[in-house]
Amino acid sequence: MASPVSYQNEVMAVLAKAGCNMGTCHGNANGKGGFKISLRGESPAGDWKVIARNELGRRLNLIEPDESLLLKKATAQIPHEGRRRFEVDSWEYRILRQWIAEGAKNDTGQAPELTALEVAPTHRTLYAPDNQIQITAKARFADGSERDVTSQAVYEPSNNLLEVTPLGQVTFNKPGETTVLVRFLNRQEPVRLAFVPERVDFAWSPPTRQGMIDTMIFGKLQKLRINPSPLADDTVFMRRAYLDLIGLLPTENEAREFVTDSDPVKRKKLVNRLMEREEFAEFWALKWADLLNVEVRTLDPKGVQLFHGWIRDRIADNTPMDEFARSIISARGSTYTNPAANYFRAIRKPQELAEATAQVFLGRRLQCAQCHNHPFDRWTQGDYYDWASAFAKIDYKLLKNIRRDGLDKHEFNGEQVVYMKSNGSVKNPKTGKAAPARFLSAGQPVPGGDDPLREMAKWMTAPDNPFFARAQANRIWFHLMGRGLVNPIDDFRPTNPATHPVLLDLLATEFIASGYDLRHMIRLITSSATYQLASEPNATNAGDEINYSHAIPRRLSAEQLLDTQAQVADAPLPIRDHPPGTRVVQVANTIKEKRRRSKDDIVDVVLEAFGKPQRLLNCECERSDETTLAQAFQMISGPVLNGLLTGKANRLERLAKADQPAQQTLESLYWTALSRPPTATELEAGLQHLAKAETTEAKRGQLEDIAWALMNSKEFILRR
Amino acid sequence: MNVFHPLNRRSALRVGGLGLLGLNMRKLFAAEKAKRRIVPKAKSVVFLFQWGGPSQLDMFDMKPDAPDGIRSPHKWIDTNLPGVITNEHMPAVAKIMNKVTLVRSVHHTMKNHNSAGYYALSGSAPDFDDQRLRDTKEMYPAYGSVVDHLTPTKGDMPTFVAYPYIMRDGSAPPGQHASFLGKAHDPFLFTNDPSSKNFALPELSLPTNIDPKRLASRRQLQQLVDQQSRLLDYSASARGLDAYYERALGMLNSPKMRNAFDLTQEPDKIRDTYGRHTYGQSVLLARRLVEAGTKFVNVYFSDSIGGQSTTFGGWDTHGFNNTRMYPIVEKRHLPITNQTLPTFLNDLDDRGLLDETLVVWMGEFGRTPKINANSSRDHWPQCYTVLLAGGGIKRGYVYGASDKNASYPAENPVRPDDIAATMYQLLGIDPHTEVIGVGDRPLPITTGNAIQDIIG
Repeated sequence: MASPVSYQNEVMAVLAKAGCNMGTCHGNANGKGGFKISLRGESPAGDWKVIARNELGRRLNLIEPDESLLLKKATAQIPHEGRRRFEVDSWEYRILRQWIAEGAKNDTGQAPELTALEVAPTHRTLYAPDNQIQITAKARFADGSERDVTSQAVYEPSNNLLEVTPLGQVTFNKPGETTVLVRFLNRQEPVRLAFVPERVDFAWSPPTRQGMIDTMIFGKLQKLRINPSPLADDTVFMRRAYLDLIGLLPTENEAREFVTDSDPVKRKKLVNRLMEREEFAEFWALKWADLLNVEVRTLDPKGVQLFHGWIRDRIADNTPMDEFARSIISARGSTYTNPAANYFRAIRKPQELAEATAQVFLGRRLQCAQCHNHPFDRWTQGDYYDWASAFAKIDYKLLKNIRRDGLDKHEFNGEQVVYMKSNGSVKNPKTGKAAPARFLSAGQPVPGGDDPLREMAKWMTAPDNPFFARAQANRIWFHLMGRGLVNPIDDFRPTNPATHPVLLDLLATEFIASGYDLRHMIRLITSSATYQLASEPNATNAGDEINYSHAIPRRLSAEQLLDTQAQVADAPLPIRDHPPGTRVVQVANTIKEKRRRSKDDIVDVVLEAFGKPQRLLNCECERSDETTLAQAFQMISGPVLNGLLTGKANRLERLAKADQPAQQTLESLYWTALSRPPTATELEAGLQHLAKAETTEAKRGQLEDIAWALMNSKEFILRR
Repeated sequence: MNVFHPLNRRSALRVGGLGLLGLNMRKLFAAEKAKRRIVPKAKSVVFLFQWGGPSQLDMFDMKPDAPDGIRSPHKWIDTNLPGVITNEHMPAVAKIMNKVTLVRSVHHTMKNHNSAGYYALSGSAPDFDDQRLRDTKEMYPAYGSVVDHLTPTKGDMPTFVAYPYIMRDGSAPPGQHASFLGKAHDPFLFTNDPSSKNFALPELSLPTNIDPKRLASRRQLQQLVDQQSRLLDYSASARGLDAYYERALGMLNSPKMRNAFDLTQEPDKIRDTYGRHTYGQSVLLARRLVEAGTKFVNVYFSDSIGGQSTTFGGWDTHGFNNTRMYPIVEKRHLPITNQTLPTFLNDLDDRGLLDETLVVWMGEFGRTPKINANSSRDHWPQCYTVLLAGGGIKRGYVYGASDKNASYPAENPVRPDDIAATMYQLLGIDPHTEVIGVGDRPLPITTGNAIQDIIG
């Protein structure tokens, strides 16, 4: 072994390899067993003090190194809750032992720094029966030296499709794709691996390609020996387009017309028509209202209407998304006269603005970096506080603030002015100094005299900005396809690679070239075969959830569910304080908080149960897509659906009274609810059910049953 | 050192994709598997939450030798636990002190109801002593939700039931639901009054226009439509949805759930002994729920912090609005406690349930040692008492002590985090188990330590 042993480059590697500084062990915020070192070795200097100096230096025995507590514990010669991390006389042991014997010196900052970690391969697809591959890792240092660190790097697979030995030998147990993170000292690199099963007689047979998206998507599917499903039929496509673009169902007539239309480009035309409707702007405004915290406690009722209206109008007039973003970031003035300034009214502290802005506009989650260097991304605490400093000059003048609840500091009711002070910065707790405003990857801080937010708006939407276009293109993709190319959609980082990185880049480029045009991107994506694939899987693609080989059915959102139920019943939802006929999607505020609710707010109860977010976070994750028992109860016996079904003068009343054959009535109901005619089986059952009714009132009851069944069917509740 | 995440067995009932390619951060933070197996001592927990803050100096930590203006104006009486006294207005409580442990040194720094309430309900201190603490997804979940997440019940009964209010002080304190653990772990919550004659749960009852037969026929029609598509064959979402329908319909039809909530099955004598008020009948219901298999029951004393009425409201007796503490607690809070708490513990014990049912009686803080200008007491988180019984807790024990004025802990200070850890441990859950919060941040369910000394 080369002498002397480097603490910075060798001992720290051992502490990581042996798992000592993991978050579940001594890297934990509380340490373990009274021994606390930095998470994943982010502070070698601090760790040295803890190891070599704390506890009166009893962790190391410089005279008799083998007697060091550090070694005895790690080899379980003394009881160690963390069990045996390595054997006596292993390479880990020998490095530590020699280091101790040489005086346990601290060469942090003096030893040559690690400048690069190279892993090979960076990505590979294995084809059965080959299910093994060796990862190699090479470290490059600032003095030009390099060495093989394959056996010293830490290997972390992201799921259990494969196993990795400590020496970097990968064995796949199951087919699929995964990423192995390779870590050495303070660097980490992902290795993307896929294992394609033996598919004897695999015959690649895709639907016709339409363009760049299909080329990329199908290209990868072919490599993975996965056949895409065929294109969805007209009913499925139509419902998909309506729900994805305007959050509503086609009417019976719209549905019948579309299905019988023989125009070869009717699908494209449908998309264009839907994007011209005002419901499109309302539906897509909802997504931004969620992210930008349009809620009444901080914005007050007027602010909520103004901000929501402003967002909706920008989408309606197809304002380019870069302009949209710039308007928000550089907004100031009265929140009543400049609605975009409500962004700053809702989020009031520099750190909160820093996190929200990065997450919403740049697709990056900086949160972890507030307290320590981000464990899986490259952001340091310095990056975090410098970015937060850009928001530190914002201040508020409360022209009026009449709180309903005088004790609630979060409540604002009245006009407020957002303005910039001449000075302001955030203190970096690690350095103790004021952090200069600096934009993440930018090397240089914003010049002191400049307006940091105006500069940020420019920087963010410059064509060479690596974050904004990709993040927004990814969001649009997510809303249509159900899953981001980067997932979660606001969690871009090198260790969370896109499933289709080239496609993501192309989409970003396209987005910029189109002038950041939302509708252009929707057109592009929805006209691809990929978007139009059916949801029924085939033998090769049933296990695929991330490569778009088939559509994955997903539950309607809370708003879609209620608005489509109201459509089918043709009855108004009992939304309080709004005129009857208002759709949930149109409501500017989110669900009322519990204390402001009365027992009449039954719509809010349903919306909450189905996951409508409170708009207190800036994360898509605040909206819940889970299924719960409460939801099932709402559907089975809840007052809102029951009210829609039993309401006077609703569609069922009209159908019950209509002087037409029962079959016609049934078909009308099916086209309205499911955009298709009943099958023979359904027709028979439906007619039978209706035949039991002798009076109009009884007939109405039977229709309520059928309508209930349709609206509770999976076909209705799921967007497929 | 490989970290695996086998899909947990509830995944059939959970919808929402798991990122399988990317280093989804939750995969990178392996939830710490409990290194030691903890043998549970309690099968269930009944958490009797005294919203508003009961006074330690007038109940379980009386200091007759303290000066006038600090000591309770009420007289004290001996209990059947030597050395322990209690308020003269609680003679029945005096007869069950040999079944309980008192922890007299609980303390924290949250002076407001919402911040302190959240702390008491979740075991996690908020960042700020916020009077209107915002209930975001970043807040910690209720204990029962954690239990439902980590060790759910296997049968028909919900793991976690909470009732009969959503508590508020202006806004609702967080800690009453599952928060970032996901709605699937929310409590089965209802706000109907168990003492009312027509007590029935909306979930267990159908609207008047639907009877079980009609519901069954609707379900059949629904299933027919479902058969026309193959969604149930290939879609996890579809299957998850249907599983919940089955479960909901099961609950609607199942006798077990109905019976557990049917208080008319209790003899009148028992119902009378518990007290024919909301709290009394709620606690009786808790016994039935525990018998039916519920693991965690939150019974809330009141919806409001109260303290200004002899007929409703919680323990927050400041002497505001021309009211006075002692006439109020004498008429309402002490008699209710005296009636219900001993009845409950004796009932559990007589049925052989006390040793496996942990009962926790606590508020969000105590009350000021110095009686204020309105002859009442204000908030005092610096030192207060928590009462525990059953489920492995020592019978007839006092842990921790306060100073001579019950102002500060003198011995063995305890944080609410430690009470939380004790509850988890007695249920067999490692108190430092990590769960995943917003942004995939790993969070321990508590940072407290179980109080080993009170465990028998």
